[in-house]
Amino acid sequence: MKAGHQTPYYTVNGIIRRGLPVLLITCIMGILVGQILNSREENLISMPAILILIPSLIKIGGDTGSMLGARLSSAFHMGLVDNLRSNPVVHNSVIAASIVGLVSSISVSVLVYLASSYLGIGMPFHILLAISLISVFIELSVVYSATVAIAFASHRFGIDPDDTVIPFIASLGDLVGVAGIFIALDLLNIL
Amino acid sequence: MPSEPQRDEDIFESQYIDKYLSEYASISSIVREALPFELIATVGGVVAGIILSGMTDELEMIPGLLVIYPGVLGLRGNISSTLGSRLGSAIHLGLITDLDRNNPELMNNIYGSLILSVIAAIMLGILGHFVTLALGFESAGVFKLVLICVIASFTSGIILSFIAALMAIGMFRFGFDPDNVVTPSIATLGDIASMLMLFLSAKLVVMF
Repeated sequence: MKAGHQTPYYTVNGIIRRGLPVLLITCIMGILVGQILNSREENLISMPAILILIPSLIKIGGDTGSMLGARLSSAFHMGLVDNLRSNPVVHNSVIAASIVGLVSSISVSVLVYLASSYLGIGMPFHILLAISLISVFIELSVVYSATVAIAFASHRFGIDPDDTVIPFIASLGDLVGVAGIFIALDLLNIL
Repeated sequence: MPSEPQRDEDIFESQYIDKYLSEYASISSIVREALPFELIATVGGVVAGIILSGMTDELEMIPGLLVIYPGVLGLRGNISSTLGSRLGSAIHLGLITDLDRNNPELMNNIYGSLILSVIAAIMLGILGHFVTLALGFESAGVFKLVLICVIASFTSGIILSFIAALMAIGMFRFGFDPDNVVTPSIATLGDIASMLMLFLSAKLVVMF
């Protein structure tokens, strides 16, 4: 491979070849999320405050889930995890990620309340808070279960969890997050 | 705790592991490290949401725009955060030391992520158009959707590559580990930049 001159460590071809498969999955999951939004487009356009809420709320699951996935993966690499149920690393990481997710969702509802009242499209604070908490609860339960399951499965089958968990979890967080927001809107009889 | 006498190294090692584990896996230490980043990220998300809520005219005029929005943000986040993390590794390896346009390691990383942005945007636009039609919804047409995706991803890609490179090199010079700073900041800025560029490219396409 190496010619007389030095070949660079990072090549354009290599970056594209490693990147494309994951991006194809991201595309497909993104389109699924988009279709869920599209099926309720008229409701959303009539309630711009919910449009402000969506991008930040659906990110929480993906962000904290990726952190959880990265921590579990590092714990596997260090040999700290051998048993799923009674392991402090798994337990505490899940609890800590849930705390971060719930606190962030409260902060999102406060910020969205302030922004939407400033823009004159406000909704009552308790409704925004209820939507955030219900949807984040659904999102975190599904995403964390999937993260722990994928991390353990890829460890068992000898795949590096760093390569499999993180890209998938961010997309899954968007998907479950949007579904969770609509479930919350239905439960609260808003749509 | 062991009751029978052990060799000193064993005791030392088990104490060390216990101490390390209790530090590494304590709930409060994880929350303390992760919460500030997540709170900043939610501010970025709310800014992106405000831009989205200002796009209602475009959303009505371009059927299918709402379908491609999560994909555009997802692709941007994915491509830019892998770029940031590769730049971090390259800087740690000493392959990149400053913002030098003749450095192949730096430029290959940037060109690679820009080409990826364009290919993925084309896939996203085509997929968005046909899946929307297949589900019986209206679409603005494959050409318009692909055009919006490509313009939005390419322009936000240029902005974010520049910021990622500048930030990774700068942070390293000032003694910070770029891995800890660049990826979360780029994820937050990426949402804002790609939503803004999506808005502007939708406005541009509406004009024609």
